[in-house]
Amino acid sequence: MIRVNGTPTSPTTGASVERVADGLYSVLLDGTSYEVRVLGNTITVNNHPFDVEIEDPRRWKRSGSAAGAHGRATINSPMPGKVVRLLVQLGDQVEAGQGIVVVEAMKMQNELKSPKAGRVAEIRVSENDGVAAGTVLVVIGE
Amino acid sequence: MFQKVLVANRGEIALRVIRTLREMGIRSVAVYSDADRASLHVRKADEAAHLGPSASSESYLSIPKILDAARRHGAEAIHPGYGFLSENAAFAQACEDAGIVFIGPSARSIRLMGSKTGARQVAKDGGAPIVPGTEQGLTSPDEALEFARAAGFPVMLKAVAGGGGKGMRRVDREVDLRSLFESASSEAARSFGDGRVYVEKLIENARHIEVQVFGDHHGNMVHLGERECSVQRRHQKVIEESPSPLVARMPGLRERMGEAAIKAARAAGYYNAGTVEFLADNDGNFYFLEMNTRLQVEHPVTEMVTGLDLVRMQLEVAAGGVLPIRQEDVVLRGAAVECRIYAEDPANNFFPSPGRIARLAEPSGPGVRLDSGVYQGWTVPVEYDPMLAKLITWAGTRDYAIDRMLRALGEYHVGGIRSNLGLFPLILNSAGFRAGDLDTGFLDRFLAAGVDWEPAAPAEFAGIAALVAMADRKPEAAPVAAGPSTSRWLATGRAENLR
Repeated sequence: MIRVNGTPTSPTTGASVERVADGLYSVLLDGTSYEVRVLGNTITVNNHPFDVEIEDPRRWKRSGSAAGAHGRATINSPMPGKVVRLLVQLGDQVEAGQGIVVVEAMKMQNELKSPKAGRVAEIRVSENDGVAAGTVLVVIGE
Repeated sequence: MFQKVLVANRGEIALRVIRTLREMGIRSVAVYSDADRASLHVRKADEAAHLGPSASSESYLSIPKILDAARRHGAEAIHPGYGFLSENAAFAQACEDAGIVFIGPSARSIRLMGSKTGARQVAKDGGAPIVPGTEQGLTSPDEALEFARAAGFPVMLKAVAGGGGKGMRRVDREVDLRSLFESASSEAARSFGDGRVYVEKLIENARHIEVQVFGDHHGNMVHLGERECSVQRRHQKVIEESPSPLVARMPGLRERMGEAAIKAARAAGYYNAGTVEFLADNDGNFYFLEMNTRLQVEHPVTEMVTGLDLVRMQLEVAAGGVLPIRQEDVVLRGAAVECRIYAEDPANNFFPSPGRIARLAEPSGPGVRLDSGVYQGWTVPVEYDPMLAKLITWAGTRDYAIDRMLRALGEYHVGGIRSNLGLFPLILNSAGFRAGDLDTGFLDRFLAAGVDWEPAAPAEFAGIAALVAMADRKPEAAPVAAGPSTSRWLATGRAENLR
């Protein structure tokens, strides 16, 4: 099953797909030309980005470090900064898209959201901690 | 002319200067910090000098390190670009003292224009119109009240030592003046250690219009028309253009603004490239705001409509040459627009988004100029301003230049990091922008009105995304395009006995 922006979607049929470079495809459908780019889970059709997940009974590929309805997801700091606020506590049940932690960098505050529903399994930082880019801040479990 | 010039900057502006140096047959010396070893300007320069750690204070802002690099590489002149040391009078002075030519105005001119009230005084003495207001700090709210009654509300209270919006208060009603005066003064005292406040008439719905001036060391000075930079966010310019839609429809305004700009610059004994910024209202009244004593970020729009290379002129003038043009030679042709492309996420409060540029497709074609400082695979460092590039389009009319910009933006793709590319079509397609109906509050109102950051895609796009997701998962089903084609052409040519 393929989910495009969370909605089960059938692949278009009858199109010509030509791989022209790494992650770059030319698609011709009913005489219309589309430029499609693939980068991780993001597929961009004529500059419109879509989040695409392929769920396979044997292997669920295309789930990045954070996405995917199953398993654990980590919330990482996108850049060096400071933890301003923790919005959840250990063991909290959270929804996908719920704000988890606020990180300040370059004088801007950024609320990092949970990529999935689940329970807060680990909180690895405290408020006012300085963090490097990529630091795991919070782990969301099943 | 110089044999070798050091470029004391990084990113797209360093590359911009290096390109002209290459065209003039002058060797270029790039400088770089630890974070910039792999940066494009280092790759494209003839020579490169390491300055030190990534922090600007220990690299691009270190006067001794930059002068040392110039000496080691034998550079006769230094181009400062914009930002960093470009408006630092002490740096210009240190270059002069070291016998290295600073490509810009004199240290004295930089100093004169560097102070807010000082620049106001210089401009006024030179005969340029300034925003009506008091010249010195006020001793009591009564003085402000006296001025406001005469000039009319609203007025603006500003810190004498001001900057960054601190100690500034808009006053709409007489009844509020006293309390706002006290709070402006105490904020100014906290911020600058100087609580003095002065009062100015508030210019409502003002446009930001600036005039490019250029002088040589022989007393010649011209203006190169104006740029409108009213599309701003937090006092940062986002879109610039030349000509200004206002100036274009008001006969004689360009000449009047140009003359005022030259007066202000002459009063400071100015030479080389400079920009005089004005606030203007829709009736064509304009007031001196400040002078930028360097090449501006948005200089390409002036280059596109005048056909001049401002960096080449800077070098010629700095080497002692006479200005190659007279005022009557300056003709503005067509219209140019510039978009500043940043690594930031407009949908998330413009949060900076440095990181690795995993994918990059750049626009080209008729009337398109891209001044970029990045490449695919490069990691945008967190240490510096996250501007990636400036995209400039030129066409015969403003409408065509905007259409061309929309086309070029459609060809532009940055993947792996967030960019503000999606913001520009929304602004450019808005009725207000198309009509040239601009003021410095335009973008704030536009964003506050609510923006749909993810406009609905045509219905068939989702299915195509799913199709390509499948194709991308099975690389065996999608053969890669063949390798180097030149050798195959050669082989084919030989086989067909064409060579």
